[in-house]
Amino acid sequence: MLAFALRRAIWAIPTLFGVSLVVFLLTTLLPDPVVDAPLTAGDVDGRLRLDELRRARFLDLPRLVNVAPRDVRTTVDDCVAHVIDADADAAFCEERLARIGGAALPHLLPRLDDIPPASRGRLAQALAPVARRMGIGEEADLTEPDRAALFWGRFWEDRSVDFTEPAVRRSVQRITTRESELLENDLRLVDTFALRELMAALKTTEDPGALARLTRIASHVTGRAAALEPGADGSRTRAVVSEWLSWWYVHEADYVVLQGGEKVTASVAQTRYAKWVLGAVTGQLGLSTRDGLPIFDKLVARAPVTLGMSMLALLVSAIVGVPIGVLAAWRRGQPIDHGAAGIVLLVYSVPTFLVAELLATFGRAAGAGFVLPVIALSTVSVSVMAQQQRASMIEALGEDYVRSARAKGARTLRVALVHALRNALVPTVTLAGVQFPALLGGAFVVEEVFDIRGIGWETLRAIESRDVAWIVATTLLCAIVTTACLVASDIAYGLLDPRVRETQTRRRAS
Amino acid sequence: MKDRRSSDPGSGEPKPPISSQEGRESVPLLLARASRVPPPASDPGAPRRAKAAPRTAAPPLAGVDWADPGTVTLRLGKAGLLVAALLLLVSIFAEVIASDLPIACKIHGHVYVLPNITRPAELEEMDRRALAAEADWAVRPIVARGPRLAPGEERAPLLAPGDGRGHWLGTDRDGRDVFARIVHGTRSYLVFALAAVFASLALGVLLGAVAGLFGGAADALFGRVVESVSAFPPLVLVLGVQAAVPTPTLFTLFFAIALTRWPEVARLVRGEVILATTRDYVLAARALGASPMRVLWRHIMPNVRAPLVVAASMGVSAVVLTEASLDFLRIGAPGGAASWGETMSQFRDASSAWWLLAFPGALLVVTVVAYNLMGEALRSALDPRSR
Repeated sequence: MLAFALRRAIWAIPTLFGVSLVVFLLTTLLPDPVVDAPLTAGDVDGRLRLDELRRARFLDLPRLVNVAPRDVRTTVDDCVAHVIDADADAAFCEERLARIGGAALPHLLPRLDDIPPASRGRLAQALAPVARRMGIGEEADLTEPDRAALFWGRFWEDRSVDFTEPAVRRSVQRITTRESELLENDLRLVDTFALRELMAALKTTEDPGALARLTRIASHVTGRAAALEPGADGSRTRAVVSEWLSWWYVHEADYVVLQGGEKVTASVAQTRYAKWVLGAVTGQLGLSTRDGLPIFDKLVARAPVTLGMSMLALLVSAIVGVPIGVLAAWRRGQPIDHGAAGIVLLVYSVPTFLVAELLATFGRAAGAGFVLPVIALSTVSVSVMAQQQRASMIEALGEDYVRSARAKGARTLRVALVHALRNALVPTVTLAGVQFPALLGGAFVVEEVFDIRGIGWETLRAIESRDVAWIVATTLLCAIVTTACLVASDIAYGLLDPRVRETQTRRRAS
Repeated sequence: MKDRRSSDPGSGEPKPPISSQEGRESVPLLLARASRVPPPASDPGAPRRAKAAPRTAAPPLAGVDWADPGTVTLRLGKAGLLVAALLLLVSIFAEVIASDLPIACKIHGHVYVLPNITRPAELEEMDRRALAAEADWAVRPIVARGPRLAPGEERAPLLAPGDGRGHWLGTDRDGRDVFARIVHGTRSYLVFALAAVFASLALGVLLGAVAGLFGGAADALFGRVVESVSAFPPLVLVLGVQAAVPTPTLFTLFFAIALTRWPEVARLVRGEVILATTRDYVLAARALGASPMRVLWRHIMPNVRAPLVVAASMGVSAVVLTEASLDFLRIGAPGGAASWGETMSQFRDASSAWWLLAFPGALLVVTVVAYNLMGEALRSALDPRSR
């Protein structure tokens, strides 16, 4: 049995891969972002803003395979080459170097002497904002090309020992445990070089004080206004941390060096698809553009409402539908069968939203909370269940084992319930797993009519405000739930019917 | 197979047969049932739904053999066909039934033929009351109102109930005639649903036949693709596509709905093709040297046609329901096109205007019932196995 269940579960993996590809294709339908004003050649700010918009959706990465993954070293090399050539991209590259900051220094400063003097001056000059962030150097030292080159040469001689990972890691570890002005200044002096360790610490620390310190340093070195103020409440803390981790997820390649094996994994991981899937798996679904909350938190809050309602509706439809089907099969061809057939077909044909709207209008006085929505949701599946149950019951009643049971003199009720129904229930149970996705779709409508704040209600609001991150996350969630239901229903089928199990496992052995 | 429960000790006394039909079954029939050979397992390896749960693959909708397999279902099916044909006629002649311009008229010395369809600019701009007064003669449509407000049309009261004279079924929130909206709404529904169903049929037949014929890797891949696409609840996938595209249009809606429908068709076709390829007449045709295309087209496809027709009929009702739901949620086709769901969605803001919900809703239910009945009748008529 276990082998059968495992086998079925493993077969769901390629399906989930397919599901993720479909949703990924959905995200590629989205238009490429454009900045509000058209770009001119020298518009560095506009270009950076566009760059940022595109990177937030990984549009700078190739779709499925990255032949040459970027890291901070290749970025710095590129930028230096542009500056030496003094081409159209030079100004943009200088700005980028300044933004990368400390993480770029180990790859830039040691080579500074090999660069022709004019370019050397420009590069050193471009790094002025970095020195200002660190709080070192005099203004004249930073802005005059020759003196700036000299300044950065000296800086590297003095400070290169600080730009090592063990040193930074120690400082970050210490600052998570206690408040210290001195340590904070040390970390500010290595600038963005500390980001990797800061982010690693953000993931592991729970202490609000430490989080506040870590985010303070991170905001300082990146120039992003996302520091956590001390004494913030739990939800604010989670939102800020998740915001930082999402940002790091997008920008990591700017600040870290890929070494050895990391390069190989990066050729797969640094792609649009992998970034997106890994983000989804680890709950990094981004922030809702509608209200700025992390999508993951919102899903956790909304999904139980919808899933619970659908579950209840499934239960109701089984409780109502199965007896109807059994009764109709038992009285096959009699008025009760005809009546049931007519009612079932009619109920099947009335759309969920119509039922919901009618119930909402005429039953509002009753004010019965979850009862009316569940009734509205379950109507269609009641009829599907009844039809399936009737068909399988008729088939079961015609089987030989029913005949032999009767021949041996078993009571009518016993024959019906023990012999026929037990077997006739199997297809209906399997059907329940397939019905669930349909109910999930119906729940969207019911939530809207009854104003229930589940994922359906939230999705409709998201469509109004074009909150794409939420829509993608919901679509993915629904698909995963559906796949899980399919697997569960197949396993249940194997559980209830040994013949299915045998054929499935025997073929594997042969 | 032997059921272990059949060895239950009986109570000893003879019982009457469960039902008269069971008791009357003849010996040859019993033998025929016992010798019925199960379809050969031709599974490509993956535990496909269709194989693991053959009975749930296509649950009988209204029960083909509710009582009297032949006559009742067929008669109801004919009624369904009649209703469907009527709706199609209404959608084709929507302008003749309800339009703000006459069918033909003579005005200022010009004779206009079918201005309600050609919509000449000079009439379009005219005040409708002036037009009625100045025309020498005019053949008027049954209801002299279009789905949109025409220039100069007397301002109808907003949200007024039907009065039996001007507005038979009342007016909606913008003072537009509900009857005209419903009549023109049939067009967007039926044309759209038929197109989406045909697109999904074409795609499903193509992919299903390929998977069924070639088997092996193609079939395994097909299985994964079908399972992936059908993992999305249809409404959710349509919502996702409509929200993701930069400008949702009728075409993207059509595309999204066809996308959700094809796996069902493809699964059906694949199953039938696999079943047919093991039959003796296909083997014989191959032995006679028929090309694979000829075998597919002449010997296998005729088997697939019947279930396809049924699936198409059921598909139309499903698509109509989906589209109505989308319109009701106000995320359907953009633009002010008349549609039943759009009229019904107005009821959400004006819950005293029952006619906004009742008339389109009733028509929607009638349409869906008609197509479902038609599908049932076709199923029982075309599929000899179900009798």
